[in-house]
Order: sequence, then structure tokens, then C-alpha cells
Amino acid sequence: MTISVRGIGWLTQEGCGCIRSELRHEYETGEGAHTLTKKNIFSHPFKNFGRLDMMSKMTAYGVSLALQDGGIEYSPLRKQDIGIVGTNAEGSLQSDIVYFRDYLAGGRTLSRGNLFIYTLPSSPLGEAAIHFGLLGPVAYVAKENHALTAVLDMAEEMILADEAPAMIAGTAEAEEAIFFVLARDQGGNQPVLCDLEEARAQVETSPDLSGLIQKFLRMAERKG
Amino acid sequence: MKPVVVMADMVTPYGRGTEACWQGLLGGKSAISRVNRFKTGAFHSDVAGIINGLRYHEGASLVMQMMEMLFEGVVIPEDAKLLLATTKGEIDLLEQSMLEQRGDSADAVVSRLISKVAGLAGTKGGGLVISAACTSSAAAAAQAAAMVRTGHADCVLVVACDSITEFIFSGFSSLMALDKQPARPFDRNRAGLNVGEAAAYALIMSDERAVREDRPVLGIMEGWGLSNDANHMTGPSRESEGLILAVSKALTSAGIGPDNVGFISAHGTGTIFNDQMEMRAFRTVFQHRERPVYSIKGGIGHTMGAAGLVEMIIALCALRERKAPSTVNLKDPDDDARGWVSDHQQPVREQTLALVTNAGFSGVNTALVLA
Repeated sequence: MTISVRGIGWLTQEGCGCIRSELRHEYETGEGAHTLTKKNIFSHPFKNFGRLDMMSKMTAYGVSLALQDGGIEYSPLRKQDIGIVGTNAEGSLQSDIVYFRDYLAGGRTLSRGNLFIYTLPSSPLGEAAIHFGLLGPVAYVAKENHALTAVLDMAEEMILADEAPAMIAGTAEAEEAIFFVLARDQGGNQPVLCDLEEARAQVETSPDLSGLIQKFLRMAERKG
Repeated sequence: MKPVVVMADMVTPYGRGTEACWQGLLGGKSAISRVNRFKTGAFHSDVAGIINGLRYHEGASLVMQMMEMLFEGVVIPEDAKLLLATTKGEIDLLEQSMLEQRGDSADAVVSRLISKVAGLAGTKGGGLVISAACTSSAAAAAQAAAMVRTGHADCVLVVACDSITEFIFSGFSSLMALDKQPARPFDRNRAGLNVGEAAAYALIMSDERAVREDRPVLGIMEGWGLSNDANHMTGPSRESEGLILAVSKALTSAGIGPDNVGFISAHGTGTIFNDQMEMRAFRTVFQHRERPVYSIKGGIGHTMGAAGLVEMIIALCALRERKAPSTVNLKDPDDDARGWVSDHQQPVREQTLALVTNAGFSGVNTALVLA
């Protein structure tokens, strides 16, 4: 069985976009991920988006762009059997510090549940699953190095084991993110960017995210 | 290739070893005790499933102390791939850094635990952390089984751990999730969960390699299913559709129907909504045909990321002895659980399989089918 890449969404410090559909937005002065809510990234209102931590916001943006690139529409009323696995360098460290600092400032008596819920490394993926109506497996994966490859491997394993027919896999940091939509290659007219093996080779040989995005943009251009 | 469990062990509030936990549960005695590790006066509860003898904010982290107990004298094949399941890993190191300016808060990053655990377990096959809230270790076991079934690995070590610290205890208290008394899963008067701590491991191999190495088979991972409610960050779905989906996937993965399931090891946290959600799912999948259901969390508390693996290993004990343990602290079963849960051991039908379910924050669900 071949697994193909249906779409990729990305964000860097310079801008954000999709690979296959060539949608691209370069930030102007004063713009950044913090101003993206005004850019209609989501096709449905994102309930309580403001209370999300930064990692959850970046994950949500990346997943939204990836789904758009993969031609997958979503709706809060129509949930889909798609899973999501993700990674990053530090897990929930920044949210852990925010929660515990707040707890200490409160005299070690009061703590805030709305900060505590982001102290799980999988919470940003959970927030994305809720908004996009993703019913498949949700897991955070970490490795000492090459974690993005590990995430792609895990998503592949889940598709091969029939745990979900399609998976979203990627990484989100405070200022950059990339998410892939992976699915079984069913032939026919399904638009695909490349197969997973080809994507994995690009990931393994790219030193940084900007370079990786450039490689995929060139690949999309070549394939027309 | 079939994934089989060839070695497994645990450290729980009942003490060192699977047998200590199994016998404790069969005896119906709870290992929940008062927390002395930090002040609990401001919290909604002062009890938890604590492992005696661990040093807090002194030397190695709590989970590494558990790991040292767990792997003492154990020989794991060095080519085993390591899957490490945890929610908060060495979070006590972050506490130390912020409270006492000792060490670096980044020492608590979960990926840093991989090489430490690999060093203790003696594995050199590479490692990954899998974190999926309170389904972390069930998800890791499922992933290990998938790697074996697809032929991508023939030996995977799944290790699970989580500990009780002030960070974690205060967080659960802030969510109003804690029972002041030892938790009473599926009881009419249940009032929340107790957090617990544990570490466990299971060595999962292909049946082919297990035969080749003449290893005893403790159980077979016949099927698994993972899902998400896509509904709410901290509360389970009122329709149970996420857990129903996970169980359906697991039964399909195992190639069996509901009638083949002899008993269910439930997540059974003791919160009103979790237990209700699970019973609704079981009644739907099994069409109201009763079979033994139990939760071990009245015995050891909710061991978070370690819960799934501990419960999987205990379910293998139940399969071996063909008896489902009682649900510790159960006195008056809630209406929806009556006839399924029990305050005493229940026999398990011959030739039937075990179903182990777990659920967690953000609506994650797992179901494992074991033989």
C-alpha cells in the first residue's frame, strides 16, 4: 500500500501558506502569527481561540492550512475519521512554566485549570482535533532528534494498521509549524503532492523548516 | 505476525511487582494513602496512590527512582525499540528549578527522559516518547503492536511512568476532579478520582521471535483502536461515540465480535462523567448483555500516563486466572453499572478475550483486545 501526501500547510517567521495550492502570504511589517486570526485561516469560527496557548494556536493554523491544501473540507457538524500526531522540541515546557509560576504567585494555594490543561504535550493536538472534528488517534511524539521523521513514521504505521484512513502529522513551535495530510493512495483523481517516501527523504535532508518548505514548493512547481 | 507480550512488570502503590498489585486488587484492599510529600491543605483532597520510599526533590526524579526499581536485575534485548509513555515525566525537576533555583527547568522536557530510560533498560534500538494524556501507555502499547504486526519491528519495549508532585496534584485539584476519599469507580456515591503514581514495562515481540527465543507468552495483543471525541478538552462526550468508535476499531482489528469479550478492564476513574460515559459505551457495544467490568483505580488511583499499561498487565493476570478482580471501594453500584461491576471477584468465561479501555483529556480514547 502506498501512502501519499495530499497537502502541506506551513508557517514561518516570514509568512504562511500551502504547498500544492500555492497559497502564500508574506507578513508585512507588524504582522506575524499573532495577527493571523484576521486572515480567515479557519473556514468556521474557532470557539474561544483567544484562550489557547501559543503552541495550540500554531498547531491550529498549521492544520487548517494543511487541510485546505489537501482539499479536505471540515465542519463542526460533520466529524471525520482522521487522526493527528505531532511533535516539537520542548513539549509543553513553556506552558508548564506559565502554570507553575502562576500557582507560586498565588501563594501555592490556588491554581488555574485553564492553564493546567495546556501542560500536556498533546493538548495543542487535542484542541485541533476538537475544532476540526477529527475522530482518529491523537498523540504527541518526541525524540531526541529527527522527531519530524518519527511523526511521519508513526502516522504511516497508524494508516497501515487501519487505525485511521488519513492522518495529519507535523510539528509546531512558537514561531513556525508544518503539517502534512497523509492518506492511502487510492489512485484515480485524488490530487497528491508526492508519496510518503519522497516526503520523508526531503525531511531527512533539510536542515531547517524554511529550506524544507522551499524544497516542497519547488516539487509542487515541477509537478504542475 | 502476531504481537505477543513476553515480559512485563510494574511498580505501583501496592509495591514492587505485578503480583503485589494483582494480589492487592484480589484482596479488595485500597493502597490509597495520605499525601505527605507536600502540603495539601489548600487542595480538595489529601489522598493519593503513593509509592512508599520515594525521595521527593532529593537526587533523582521520582520517575527515575521508580525506573531503577522496575529494571533492577531485568535483562531486555538490546535491539528492542523503546516507546516511553508519560504525561509529565520528570516534572519534579521543573518544580525544583522554580522553587529552589536548582537545575534547569528544561531538564523536565519529556524527550530528555528517553536516553535515561534506555540506559537503565539496556536498549540501544532508539526511542520515542508517546504522550496522549491518560491514554499514553495504552496508545504506546497499540503502536508497539502495530509495529510488530506490520513487520517494522520484532521487539518493542513499552515503558510507562508518571508520578505525583505538587504541580500535578494542584492541577487536578483546580479542575475539581479529586475525591476526598479513596476513589469509588462506578459507585452511586462516587465523587471524583485520586491521582496515583506507577511505572511499568511490557516487552512486545513478534510471535515468531518469541518462539525462536523460547520465551513464555504472557498474552497476545489481538487488536486495538484509538479515537478522539472531538468534543471537549476536559469532559468526555455525553454520547460516548468516541469510546464506541475505539472499541469498534479494536474488535475489528482483532477480527472478533462483542460476544467474544469475556470481561472489561475499564478506565473507571471515579468521576461522574467518565464512568457514565464508559457504561453508556459498553451498553451500546454489547447491547446490554452483561459481563464483568472492573476498575483498578480504587486500589492504586489514576496513574495517568502509566494507567493503560498497568491495566493491560493486570488484565493479562485476569485472563491467566480466568477471574476479574473486584472494583475496590465499590459499595453501591450506580444504576447503569449494576450487574456489570462487582465488589467481589467474578469468573471469566473460558475462550473469551479481555477488553481494556482508557480515556483522557482532549477526548482521547483507546481500546485494547487481549488474549
